[in-house]
Amino acid sequence: MRKLISIMLVVFLLLISACSPKQESSTNENSESGDDVPEVNMVLFSGSVPKDLKIVEDEINKLTKEKINVKIKLTPINIGNYVQQTNLMLSSNEKVDLMLVASFFGYTSQAAKGQLLPLDDLVDKYGSDIKKVMDKDYLNASKVAGKLYAVPTQRDMASASGIMMRKDLVEKYNIDVNKVKTLDDVESVLKTIKDNEKDIPPLVPSNPGQQPTMIYNWFDRLGDGLGVLPKYDNKLKVVNLYETDEYAEFVKKMRKWQNEGLLMKNPGTNTETGANLVKSNVGFSYLSPLKPGVDSQESKNTQMPMVSASLGEPVSTTFGVTTMMWGIPQSSKIPEAAMKFLNLMYQDKELVNLLSWGIEGKHYEKVSETLVKYPEGVDATNNGYNLNMNFAMGNSFLSYIFEGDDPTLWHQTDEFNKSAIKSKALGFNFDSSPVKTEVTAVTNVVNKYTIGLENGVLDPETELPKFIKELKAAGMDKIIAEKQKQLDEWAKTQK
Amino acid sequence: MSEVTVKNLQADVQSLPVRKVNTRLMKLKRALPLFIMMLPGLIYLLINNYLPMFGLIIAFKDINFAKGILASDWIGFKNFEYLFSTRDAFVITRNTILYNGGFIILNTVLAIAVAIMLNEIKNKLAKGFYQSVILMPFLISMVIVSYLGYAFLSEDTGYLNHTILPLLGLDEVSWYSEAKYWPYILTFINMWKGIGFLCVIYLAAIIGIDQEFYEAATLDGANKWKQIIHITIPSIMPVIIMMTLLAIGRIFYSDFGLFYQVPMNSGAIYDTTNVIDTYVYRGLMQLGDIGMSAAAGLYQSVVGFILVLVSNYLVRRKSKDNALF
Repeated sequence: MRKLISIMLVVFLLLISACSPKQESSTNENSESGDDVPEVNMVLFSGSVPKDLKIVEDEINKLTKEKINVKIKLTPINIGNYVQQTNLMLSSNEKVDLMLVASFFGYTSQAAKGQLLPLDDLVDKYGSDIKKVMDKDYLNASKVAGKLYAVPTQRDMASASGIMMRKDLVEKYNIDVNKVKTLDDVESVLKTIKDNEKDIPPLVPSNPGQQPTMIYNWFDRLGDGLGVLPKYDNKLKVVNLYETDEYAEFVKKMRKWQNEGLLMKNPGTNTETGANLVKSNVGFSYLSPLKPGVDSQESKNTQMPMVSASLGEPVSTTFGVTTMMWGIPQSSKIPEAAMKFLNLMYQDKELVNLLSWGIEGKHYEKVSETLVKYPEGVDATNNGYNLNMNFAMGNSFLSYIFEGDDPTLWHQTDEFNKSAIKSKALGFNFDSSPVKTEVTAVTNVVNKYTIGLENGVLDPETELPKFIKELKAAGMDKIIAEKQKQLDEWAKTQK
Repeated sequence: MSEVTVKNLQADVQSLPVRKVNTRLMKLKRALPLFIMMLPGLIYLLINNYLPMFGLIIAFKDINFAKGILASDWIGFKNFEYLFSTRDAFVITRNTILYNGGFIILNTVLAIAVAIMLNEIKNKLAKGFYQSVILMPFLISMVIVSYLGYAFLSEDTGYLNHTILPLLGLDEVSWYSEAKYWPYILTFINMWKGIGFLCVIYLAAIIGIDQEFYEAATLDGANKWKQIIHITIPSIMPVIIMMTLLAIGRIFYSDFGLFYQVPMNSGAIYDTTNVIDTYVYRGLMQLGDIGMSAAAGLYQSVVGFILVLVSNYLVRRKSKDNALF
């Protein structure tokens, strides 16, 4: 018995000691890197953690140490866990100095809850290049209650509603994509497919659990989509989207499509993206936001040639502009260094390309001044630096374009941005905390009905009035009143 | 048996001060190994279950990370409002209680029945086989169960719509958009998945019953049914009551996997699949408000705690021996 106890004690001690050296080593690492050069911990999402991350990091550090006396540490987190992990990091005051934040990851509430640092002074002091590169309207779009909490990256700032279709079938049935401009045009295309390709559902959802009106829209969602601005203007009067005639018309059309077999039969239980469905040969098309270069991007995702048709003008809204931004968490001890580094990402071509593509000769090779490709023996599957986050690395217009894409992609994107209609409410961010009780209830009601209605599974004749009634009972009007109030106040400051 | 030792201990404790200190030390020395064995569990319990309780204040605060948890503003019960303010509040509370109440009753009855039947199987190999088969679903992850369910219920490729219903000459059913079927589906899946584990516990209790009771009963001419009613059930009553009380304590929590994964998060059937946990999850995914989630957790545990106290009190009034405390 005694022997047993002593063994247990030894095991227990071992367990305790097994935990402690780890911590020591990690603190060692920290103090080692603290040799007067502040180390910026940069957290971002990505599909994978590249195996050559450290090598690229060292290369970047050589550059940044010389230029701004800052070192960086890249911490990529899988996009599937990103929301949870970063929320934990922010809540537990972990050492993070630069973090990729986004409207769809709850940027506004992070700012409202004080998890991010206001950046106005820092940008004024160290961010001259950010100000030079970014259109003032876009930079202001990330302001919450008059303060800047994150800096958007320079990329496509607008998007247009559109539909992405399989090119081989489009060509097979002589469909002229330039003539596809409205939902009625889409309908006739889908019917052609339905009649000739029995086994391929003509239109599939773009993303599982996503409302189609997230992509095909004629209104500014004003953040959460609870209370919207039709036609991106509506004289700044917020309305309940689900009560509008346009919405009723849209869901009726979807019901018709569903009954005619133009839509996927069970969108409620679907867990695949539209691209994956097309790739698996169970889809002809899906709705997609359009921007320059999107056809080749989606062709990569579906692994077959795709072609798009535009269903609307390019529009830029707060929600779109704020999908990719860098923020500095409240817990950062070195916000100045982080801002200096952030600024360099908007100015230094070498840095942007290191972050985007890795090391020249090892991870990419130049074809021309603007185009790059994989070196001999390297491809997408074995590339040691496959972060693929060039749209997040500050000014992505400075990065090289990958062979196969249009060499004038950045020029086109710039033109696209300039031609975009700016929503009347571009720059308005809704803080939902005063009505959070209602938002919780309304969100549940919206989840309950919209997927079914907007995919034609539920009959709008009976279900739409029920939906509207439940929204009202859950407090939709209160949310809209609050949003209107905040929007009015915001509009006053804009003059 | 256990009662006797408890009484002995009590007697010992009462006589302690009168005896010499020496014996007390001796006792301590004898008990020391037990204390040491208890230590890791106790430390774990303290760190894992008691330390985080300070976090309960979050439920009453408007958390602002710039100010920190302690300095954030107190807002009273405002975080709790959303749990009670809407029509949904009634639906989710009703669903949670009815489902869990139903699960407790059905699972207990079925698990005991299966355990008794398993106990009657004399062939060791067969017994092990059946036991493993019944326990197996308990070990499967809910996500996998949800896809097993999907294989049956999927609209165009599911086994039910594709094979069974046409065979019976019935129309296809779009399972994932008809709320009325889900109480039965969820109850069935819960039973299929849950009874294996409960059954093992009851089986262990049944095996522990003294065989002499049965021998005596057989001599007196009692048939199997009489034996079960008058010997087996009363003997395992303490275990049944304990398991039920523990389940009642968690009646306001629901198996998130069962209610979120198995219905594939399909909106059209929320009326019968939405429970407190899924409602909170869906509502707060967008807001990410830890104050409101803490409020929901606190509400669930307080109600569960009160229910355990009440039911334990009721049990104690009927028979003191069977009560938990």
